[in-house]
Amino acid sequence: MRTDLASTLHWQQHEPALDAGRAPVLLVHGFASSTALNWEATGWVQGLNNAGRRVLTIDLPGHGESHAPLETDAYAPSRLRAAVLEVLALAGARTRETGNPASGVDLVGYSLGSRLVWELVAERPDLFNRAVLGGMSGEDPLADFDLDAADRFLADFRAIAHESTASLMTLMQLAPGANTPALLRLVAAIKAERFEPGASVPVRPLLFVTGDRDVLATGTAELAALAADSEVLWLPARTHTNAVSSRAFKQAAIEFLAR
Amino acid sequence: MAEISFPLPDLGEGLLEATVLEWLVKVGDQVERNQPFVEVETTKSSVELPSPIAGIVLTLHGKPGDVVLVDRPLITFAVADDSAGIVGTVPQEAAPKRRVRLSVVLDED
Repeated sequence: MRTDLASTLHWQQHEPALDAGRAPVLLVHGFASSTALNWEATGWVQGLNNAGRRVLTIDLPGHGESHAPLETDAYAPSRLRAAVLEVLALAGARTRETGNPASGVDLVGYSLGSRLVWELVAERPDLFNRAVLGGMSGEDPLADFDLDAADRFLADFRAIAHESTASLMTLMQLAPGANTPALLRLVAAIKAERFEPGASVPVRPLLFVTGDRDVLATGTAELAALAADSEVLWLPARTHTNAVSSRAFKQAAIEFLAR
Repeated sequence: MAEISFPLPDLGEGLLEATVLEWLVKVGDQVERNQPFVEVETTKSSVELPSPIAGIVLTLHGKPGDVVLVDRPLITFAVADDSAGIVGTVPQEAAPKRRVRLSVVLDED
């Protein structure tokens, strides 16, 4: 059944010229980003299509071309995951069948998108084959965001003392086309549903990819140790912002998802 | 053959420059239209830039880590004469002597 949320989300299918006959790859973007910024301008959609993979993209609520609901509950991570699963159903995704490489769904997430991917894979091992988790943090930096300080900053530009709040606020202000009020509703929803990686751990194969200068994605090694079947790739000299477009990241993901 | 240079495009929102992260092609490579040829970073995001034309790479204007200004040359291609003339070209006497591969190896790092 379609909920209001799924029907207002903007999602797209990107077909390859030559289909490799593999499961579709769903891309889940990060906080204050979008399909266009996270996956199109960076060459991910084209790269996966060139590898023969069918790609599904989704703009999270308040991001990209999706609607920005006014109620905070619409941004709850559990609602976002439910909406992703509805989109997959609409796209005709089917559960994994042994020996059928076209069955199931592969996932690539970045930052907040990786949190959602971790939880989705843990919840639905019957649906998801493999997942790539980019720029992922074990302690969600959004959960510690100081919303009151952000409101004071927006009201009269008062400096934000809390370091990660200040850097996330800068990220929001810089992000092209970002809807700051909607992003703050998402932060409030995440505070109410904090990421607990140990609560449910994925059993399917995972590849973690993080820039070695990424100060927002802390805990990659711990998450990889927690997961049942995982690999880690560190990208030399890359930050949270510029790891996304890395050719080494894309190539490793394409190779991992083709196994 | 003719030479065509392409400047760093306006990446939007008043940005005046970008930093070269990684070249995805090297001098002598045959590049197809829409093939990504460089990865650059601005203060807001990092992107791959697709080639506006097919041609052979003659010059890469900058090294990884270098700042390139909007509207300044980023890459120069040698192209067949019949595909030149749109942007403005510099005539070239001799065809390049270098043999070029028909496909590009992308994992150069």
